[in-house]
Formats: sequence, structure tokens, C-alpha cells
Amino acid sequence: MTATSAAAPATIKEIMATVLARDLVDGDWVEVGANLPVPRAGVLLAHLTRGPNMTVMIAMTKANVLTEPVIEEFELITDQRAMRWAEAYYIHNDLVENMKFRRKGVFFAGALQIDPYGNSNLIGIGTDHAKLKFRGPGAIGVCNATVMNSRFHLILNSHDKRVLVPKCDFISAFGWGSGGNDARTKIGLPAGGPRYVVTPLCVMDFEDGSKRMRLKSVHAGVSVGDVVGTTGFDLVIPESVPQTEAPTAAELNVLRTRIDVRGALRR
Amino acid sequence: MAEEPTSSQPVRKSRVLDVAAAVAHVEDGMTVAIGGFINSSHPMIVVRELIRRGFRQLTIVGAASSGLECDLLIAAGVAKRIVAPYIGAEGLAAIGPGFRAAAERGQIEVFELDEAMYYAALRAAAQRVPFNPWRSGVGTSFPEINPAIKVFKDPCNGETLLAIPAVNIDVAFLHAATSDIYGNVQYVGHAYGDRAIYAAADMTFVQVEHVVSNEEIRKDPLRTVVAGADGVIRARFGSHPYASPGHYIEDKDHIKEYVRAATAWTKDNDRGSLTAYLDRWVFGPKDHVEYLERVGLRALLSLDEY
Repeated sequence: MTATSAAAPATIKEIMATVLARDLVDGDWVEVGANLPVPRAGVLLAHLTRGPNMTVMIAMTKANVLTEPVIEEFELITDQRAMRWAEAYYIHNDLVENMKFRRKGVFFAGALQIDPYGNSNLIGIGTDHAKLKFRGPGAIGVCNATVMNSRFHLILNSHDKRVLVPKCDFISAFGWGSGGNDARTKIGLPAGGPRYVVTPLCVMDFEDGSKRMRLKSVHAGVSVGDVVGTTGFDLVIPESVPQTEAPTAAELNVLRTRIDVRGALRR
Repeated sequence: MAEEPTSSQPVRKSRVLDVAAAVAHVEDGMTVAIGGFINSSHPMIVVRELIRRGFRQLTIVGAASSGLECDLLIAAGVAKRIVAPYIGAEGLAAIGPGFRAAAERGQIEVFELDEAMYYAALRAAAQRVPFNPWRSGVGTSFPEINPAIKVFKDPCNGETLLAIPAVNIDVAFLHAATSDIYGNVQYVGHAYGDRAIYAAADMTFVQVEHVVSNEEIRKDPLRTVVAGADGVIRARFGSHPYASPGHYIEDKDHIKEYVRAATAWTKDNDRGSLTAYLDRWVFGPKDHVEYLERVGLRALLSLDEY
């Protein structure tokens, strides 16, 4: 458990979680999904270190775990033990029908495909929807949550050309459409939209004006060429690309002793 | 069902029935809902009975996040069409293997929607209107891949929205903790989206772990989620292999056995292990008690604690 010494350098997943944590601000409303170790750790890191008034949704409960010494991790969202911190239950249909509380919300999603404007696909791969080459899991709550929350981040487990594609076969979550700052508002969607795409290689954001995906930082040991060579479209590459900020010793300590005791981010 | 009253004293009818009597309300081609949430609270006695009885051409409305109970209904050939925003088992199976196989081979029609559209569709049915409006989904592929979803201009302000058509449920099946014999059903926990399924259904039958007294229900009426199920099925361990809040946790080994069997069909187009699974767990046992005997007392009791 504690075999990884506090001094061991941050792993890629710990760096990814820290990127997400640093985007969050006190007062945000955030979901702690099950089986999504990186966003879970990012949310809890922000909450425990500088977000005492955040509301975290754990296993469909409203919770605030600021004073909990260790926040145990559960494999399944239906695990009753994860409901021990509930101040309220989110009855699932209420959670998905009532949208005003999501104005302070931040959401995290994965994708089968993402295009240069952050539009993404969880439906499947193929041209004929009636007979897909690869059937995806389905949109789950992602279509709605990416619209109604104040912003969202796309998280990938692997950075490659099959995922970062010029055009998605289907769009199940709207990003920046075909580009432009008004891409969302002009079709009646709230502002907000995708902010970061976080992968094991880098962090990308969306260039103001064009809203085209731009390389923001590369993780330690990764070159700009590594990113360009594994992305299926042309990224906006700034003149200088910094290294992604690693977690501080204090952040790493919180991650390893309170949030990720079992080491999901260290495997 | 209780006897008709013979004396002058009117008698309130019991709604307790067995699974065969509940499933007798289903006909081929109907829209049938299965409640619960991913790895919890599915009416599995009913699911196995639907397969055993050889129903075909059903439209299955799964939970907003369905588990492998829907995958099993698809793999067994019961479902013609599926209404569910997700089918899988989280870390145990990111995507339902039977769902995947059927969808990739064109053997299942997927009524594509996300969770918010799903609840809009049930809400429209509950309200007895043809559709509910929804904003999210404008600009996406949903109106193309689900032609029942229409883009429209709202007549009040001229905004572009989606019209999500009502999904009317003929018969809904749920799994809960307790009920009295009159169908007043209470849950442990928040009951996921079962309220919305119940509200959208013409008839609702609920499996319960225990039938309790009416007085027990009246101790805490706020906990009554389904106020008057059409039928109540005694179903101790009736959600197995899935969890039943307050009673037992999911049986991961069993779920993994199913995932292995269905994955062989997905990957190699070999239904041998799936057929063996169905023979062993669905067609083999003559009733729920025999099913539980096959699972075994030791395995069942091991699910009573974390």
C-alpha cells in the first residue's frame, strides 16, 4: 500500500489527475464517477486541498468529504458503501432532469473518437448505424452533461490516431462544432464546452477564436513530435510548449495517503 | 389472488402472485421495461422467465444505465429493439458483449438516446403527451441515428430543440426490498430511476426480497416508491447475480462467467459457451428455488457481507 514512497516521482496518471484538480475552483459541483480513477482523484485532490465548499457526487449521493482521513475507492457505482457520506441522495431521474444545479458543474468524459473541435463519439465506429463495425457503450449521460455543466474535460487512456480523428463517425457530445467561439451559443446551447483534452502524453485546449485543438503542455519525457506523430489531425502548436506541471510534494502526499491508497494511479 | 368476497364484509385483495402469472401479461411485440442500475436491482427471476418462455420481438426498455440483464435478453434472442443509453457492467465489462455482438451483426435495433433523452421519453409517456422537449443533443448525430427524435422550433420563443418521443411501457418489472401484499413497495437506498419507469408503464410488477405487513409500510410512508404495484413477486435473492441494496452484493464471479460466455460469441461468433450458460442458469432450473440451489447456499451467503 504505502510501499510507493512519498518521494517517488509522480506517475503519468497522477500528473493527469493534478491537471484536472487545478482547473477546479472552490464551490464547483463535480461528479466522482466510479471506475474513472483519474477524474475521481483529480476531483478529490481539488476538494481536499483547496475546495472546502465543493459538492462532490459520489455514487449518486451529495457529499463533502473534507474531514474524512481516507476516501476509500469503490469499483462499482452501485456499491452501497460509497453512499456512507451522503448528505442527500440524487434520485437518478431527478439528477438527469433537473439542470439548474449543473451551472456550477464540471464534467469529465471519455470518447471513442474526438475531432479537432472537441466533438466526440461514444456510439460506435462505422458508417452504417444499423450495423456498426464496433459498437460503443452508448452515450450514457454524456450528451446532456457536456451541455448543461459549466465546462467539461475529455480524458483519454491512450493517445493515438484511431481516437484523435479528423472527423467522428457519429457525434454524441457536441464540442465546438465546426469551430468558432460562438459555435455553441449560435445553436442555443449554453456557453461552456470542452476545455481540456488530457491524455497520457499531453494536455490540449482549444485556441480562442478558432476553437481548434491546441497543444497546451507535454508531460515529462514527452516531446512535441511524439504528440504530433500520434494525433490524426493537425494540432495548433504554439511557439513554445511547456512541460505539464507536476503535482507538488504536498499534493502527491494527499493523493497517496488519502485519495488513492490502493494505488490505482501508480499501476 | 384472494377469493372474491363472499360475505357482506368487503375484503381488500392481495396482489402477491408468482412469476408465471406476472409474465402472463407480456405478449410478443410488447414494450417491456426492466428496472435497476448497472450491477444492481434487476428483476432476474422475471428476466430468466422471459427467456424460458421464449418471448420474441420485444422492445426492451432497460434502465438509464443498464447492466448485463439486458445483454442477456439480447443474447437470448428475446429483444428485437433496445431502448437504453448504456449497456455494460463498468469494470466487469465496459460494453455488454451480447449487445455488442448483436449490434455489430445487425440483429438488434438500437433506439439511440442518452440518459436525459431517456427520461424525457419516459416523462412524456407518464404525462400522456406525444413528446417532451429537450435541449442537449442539438448539433449531435442523435436525430440522424434515431429518426424518432425530431429537431423543432419551439412555438413560444423560436428556439431550436429536440422533440423526444414518448416511450410507452406496456409492462414494467422492478426489483425492490419490501412490499406489503397490496403492492406498496419500499426500497433500501434511492431506487435509481425505477420511479420514472413505473410512471411510464401501464402495468408494473415488482419482485421483492420480503413481503412485509401493511403496518410495516405505514411506519414510514415516505419510503414508498411504488404506491400500488399491479403485482408483487416474492423474490428472495431475486436480483442475483446483481446486488440488492440492504440485502446482498453482486456476485462478481457469476457476472464474469456470463461475460466470458457472451464474449466468445462477440469475438469468435461461437455461441457454444453462451448456450451452455443459458442451459445451466436459465433453462436448466425449473424455478427460482432450483436456480438458487445451483448457485449454492455457501455462495449466496458469501454475498451477505462486503
